[in-house]
Amino acid sequence: MDWSFYGQLLLNGIVMGVIYALVAMGLSLIFGVLEIVNFAHGEFYMLASMLAYFLTARWGFDYWATIVAVTVVGLAVGYVLFEGLLLGLRGEAFERSILLTMGLSMVLQNGAVFLFTTTPRMIETPLSYQNVQLGDLRVPMARIYALVLGVAAFAALYLILHHTRLGKAMRGVAQNRAAAMMVGIDTRVVARLAVAIGIGLSGLAGAALAPIYSVHPLMGFAFVFKAFAIIIIGGLGNVAGAAIAAVMLGVIESFAGGLLPLAMTDAVAFIAMIAVLLLRPQGLFGRGVRV
Amino acid sequence: MTPRRLPLVVIAGLIALFAVPLATDNDYVLALGISFAAMSVLAGGLNLIYGYTGLLSFAQVGFFGIGAYTAVLLVVDLDWSLWAAVAAGAALCVAVGLLVGYSSLRLSRHAFAIVSLSFALLCAIVARDWPDLTRGSMGIPGLPTPTLALPGLRWRIADPSDYYYLLMGFAVIAHGLIYVVVTSRLGRAMRAIKLNEPLAQSQGVNPLSYRLLALSLSAALSGIVGGLFVFYLTIIDPSIFDFYYTETMLISVVIGGPGSFWGVLLASAVMAALPDLLRFTTDLRMVLYGVALIVAMLVFPGGIGGWVYRRRVARWRRPQSQQTIQQQPERSP
Repeated sequence: MDWSFYGQLLLNGIVMGVIYALVAMGLSLIFGVLEIVNFAHGEFYMLASMLAYFLTARWGFDYWATIVAVTVVGLAVGYVLFEGLLLGLRGEAFERSILLTMGLSMVLQNGAVFLFTTTPRMIETPLSYQNVQLGDLRVPMARIYALVLGVAAFAALYLILHHTRLGKAMRGVAQNRAAAMMVGIDTRVVARLAVAIGIGLSGLAGAALAPIYSVHPLMGFAFVFKAFAIIIIGGLGNVAGAAIAAVMLGVIESFAGGLLPLAMTDAVAFIAMIAVLLLRPQGLFGRGVRV
Repeated sequence: MTPRRLPLVVIAGLIALFAVPLATDNDYVLALGISFAAMSVLAGGLNLIYGYTGLLSFAQVGFFGIGAYTAVLLVVDLDWSLWAAVAAGAALCVAVGLLVGYSSLRLSRHAFAIVSLSFALLCAIVARDWPDLTRGSMGIPGLPTPTLALPGLRWRIADPSDYYYLLMGFAVIAHGLIYVVVTSRLGRAMRAIKLNEPLAQSQGVNPLSYRLLALSLSAALSGIVGGLFVFYLTIIDPSIFDFYYTETMLISVVIGGPGSFWGVLLASAVMAALPDLLRFTTDLRMVLYGVALIVAMLVFPGGIGGWVYRRRVARWRRPQSQQTIQQQPERSP
């Protein structure tokens, strides 16, 4: 038995799962509060990775400065996105919101292909060559950092949602928009914050992943496909459910990648999603505890 | 178009379309016609499921590609006839469509949109990563010239004009079928579900079965058109699942007007010619399509069909002798 191989698979899976969780939590939060599925979510993650690449490789930012800068830019972009585009969609406009964000995704993705070409780029930093020895396992430092950042972001989001007035207002809007407005919650402020946090989280994910995998304009599309499966598995609109489902999917995919043929690995997320929909349509963690 | 003149216009249009290969053997004109025929069926299928039934489906390109791959693999590997291979592809599309639709629609139409997009992406990934079946990203080049065994003759589909007749003929059948469905009781039930699902339910309409019916029909049409069109391309590779097809379909339906039969047909004719008009900016074509989609959503959500409908309603509302305001409950197809 090659335990270090399995240990490595488990660890890689958890790191990947945490990155999935960052993207999927934002997607789920935006859906919970606005009832909008942001089809451009993956492109923001891709643009964040691109930005992280340019900050590190071209302008010599160090790791932490890059993370902070990209996350702040993500928050700002979310703010602008809400005020500029999503505010125009109100009420029963689910299909319109999808088509709108789909159009945005096309513009961002193909614009990025046009500007940067599809050549994969790799960030080379001192961090790329540092490893931590854990028993038999050698773990790259960048993965440990990504793991810590992901857990910290999840903890911060949990604290905001459960222990601040604004977070409680956000959960209120997600549970019942009309009732929330009746008690005087400004849904515009709350929705804007939800979008900003959602895009900020995918910015963080992109920046944390940039030193681990190569960066290219088509990465967002494949990634958001996983994120969609995750939010359905975790229960649409359920942020904590999305986080748990993300880590589970990361681990399962990692083991499938080590043990099964390639085509099966890609299908894992989709098969899991269909299975959950057939057996437990409200998602593994249900919709009762949304956001 | 007034109902009285409509049949004449349609017949004249059909005669003109089928006379094109007699008048010219210009490959460029025929290629435009073939691409229009294929794309208009895809857009018509999307219109049926989104425009009439209210389900935004990204799965259409998946059906198109599955139909194409099934037909090619059965013809090339197992020596099936084109008829049987295309029919098998359509059957597979319906089965897959029912799986996607049934599993996600039990939750919500939000889930359907998400699952259908995941499905389309999965198709592209599997086509690339399962080389034992699909030959991976190299694809299968040099597809054989198919032969259709019609009663009394064997039609070897070799020239562009043959493909023109084949695809245009199928497009006419497909649009005829869609037209019959959307103007029948079925179509009214579908529109009722789209407009107000709880109300339709209270009148004894089961949304799930009508939606699955619309999905199956559009899946079958897209699969057949994929199986026929791919032999014209003479190569199949994972790019048959390219997002470009989805975007073309979406823009045809959105600009043409969801739920407007003639509007979508007109818009898909424009979209068939557009790639060539945008030749000078191939790299930015997709960006332009995206911008078109955003702008359409923000300022022109009803499309051409919605605009014509609003004008017609305004005309009805213009005070005439006694009957002043008379609003038609449904828009004409």
